[in-house]
Amino acid sequence: MPDASLVLGIETSCDETGVALARIHDDRTELLVDAVASSVDEHARFGGIIPEIASRAHLEAMVPTIQRALGEADVDLGQVGAVAVTAGPGLVGPLTVGAAAAKALAVGLGVPLHGVNHVIGHAAVDEMVHGLFPERVMALVVSGGHSSLLLVDDVATDVTELGHTLDDAAGEAFDKVGRLLGLPYPGGPHIDRLAREGDPGAIRFPRGLTAAKDQARHADDFSFSGLKTAVARWVEARQDAGQEIPLHDVAASFAAAVADVLTAKTIAACRRHEVDTLVIGGGFSANSQLRELATRRCAEAGITVRIPPIRYCTDNGAMIAALGAAVVRRGLPASPLDLAVDSSMPLTQVTV
Amino acid sequence: MPLLALDTSADICVSLVADPRPGPWLASTLGTLASRRVVEQRRHAELLAPMIEEVLGEAEVDRRDLTAVVVGTGPAPFTGLRAGLVTARTLALALGVPVHGVCSLEAVAAQALTDLDAAAEVLVVTDARRRELYAARYRRRDPATPRGELPEVVALDGPLVDSAVALQERGAAQGATVVGAGAALHPEHLAGDPEVVVDPAVLAVLALRRAERGESMPTEPLYLRRPDVTPSAGRKRVSG
Ligand SMILES: [Zn+2]
Repeated sequence: MPDASLVLGIETSCDETGVALARIHDDRTELLVDAVASSVDEHARFGGIIPEIASRAHLEAMVPTIQRALGEADVDLGQVGAVAVTAGPGLVGPLTVGAAAAKALAVGLGVPLHGVNHVIGHAAVDEMVHGLFPERVMALVVSGGHSSLLLVDDVATDVTELGHTLDDAAGEAFDKVGRLLGLPYPGGPHIDRLAREGDPGAIRFPRGLTAAKDQARHADDFSFSGLKTAVARWVEARQDAGQEIPLHDVAASFAAAVADVLTAKTIAACRRHEVDTLVIGGGFSANSQLRELATRRCAEAGITVRIPPIRYCTDNGAMIAALGAAVVRRGLPASPLDLAVDSSMPLTQVTV
Repeated sequence: MPLLALDTSADICVSLVADPRPGPWLASTLGTLASRRVVEQRRHAELLAPMIEEVLGEAEVDRRDLTAVVVGTGPAPFTGLRAGLVTARTLALALGVPVHGVCSLEAVAAQALTDLDAAAEVLVVTDARRRELYAARYRRRDPATPRGELPEVVALDGPLVDSAVALQERGAAQGATVVGAGAALHPEHLAGDPEVVVDPAVLAVLALRRAERGESMPTEPLYLRRPDVTPSAGRKRVSG
């Protein structure tokens, strides 16, 4: 028999096939299992995600990943009470595979389907780690695909997008600078590793959209493309002069600039909106400089900062099960079975 | 007890088919209880699940009474094909029943050969977009299969993807009857009957028979094309 408190979440917006099970309790959402299959290795040689390769991998991984999740949680598929799935934003081909699978499960099990927003899932996953959200939280979601600042009055029904990146996402800037420094794809973890042995104050790279003139229109927006260009110019000038590139210092100074902008703007937004809890999610929250700086600055500002462990920050089914659980907990209506995936789903839209 | 058959290789189509089906393997009595077809190039993933609910509702069949799911494995444009395959696989998982894959072109061939001579051959062509066709040539497996009975088929050539002009030049259609929606696209090179399209009930009958013989019917997609990949260009200078 289906158990209304048991939610299965499916995530396929990029190159990870994620399936997770969450149990709704009165006072918390419990993660039972989080199974992920990744096609990232198949993309590495192309230096970026190839949507068709990811889509093919999702098709092949879907049923085995569902079975693995059920097996690890010792749950029978017939016990699942609701199915949640990423409806967007993301890559259309990959999203389509997940949505079709979720619909088939909903039809086959006779349970409701909930299409939810991937980016808001990156914040919601923390409800399974640090407990249900208080009345109002700020969420900074940073990854290779997104850099968004969200005011979350209710994670299932009331989210306001305060700002986003005007050009590159934070993780994307890391990948591009990684390429520039001749590091393998994806560049983020490599830069992070180099940066730990470098001097973050060695080179003063620009902080995008932090000037006084940008405060009126772009107080909560980010821009990393100018920073990326500044790093490129600096490296090229050195190369042209026949000098060696101090990789550790470049990486550390670049990462410091990104972490500085993200944390300064986010904390300013918390003050402006009188929010005292900050959630940081998305794959880029694995970045050690961001974690350290956010922890220190939030402590100084009297803000509680919640950052889930790295394994819940990358794309996975847990985030979708968590947001699905929040939707079910509030008794929201099911999504229609003909729901369409939306590659550019607005961040104010939590459910379809 | 019925089974559910679906195909998303061209149109989106779903049928509920009686299992065991009544009478002999006559094409005229395939045992279709309810069916839906939408002629649509996109939106497979949107329309398919509601269509499944509709056929169940119309035939007043409880989903838990389904005995198997049968799906056309293409060849077909990627996104729509995948929507059908992942739907079939996941639905079968949810229902705890087997899922069977049958090449979509074989269903068209079996249908077309039903009313042709024992030795007849058909070239099935469908739209592969990018000015190309999916194509495969078939004949009856057993020439003794009587006319009017849905035959088992054997592929003589293909399935493959190529341009109509290339197919013409290599004589792919020589001595064969050309059928399938692709026959309307390049009539100057390949002309035939474009009205013969996949009937999910034919997929179901082929699958039932193959299951009786103990054949395995994997649901691997017939993409026939490699993914488009754009390897990242080398590092570009942004200054100087
Ligand atoms: Zn993400």
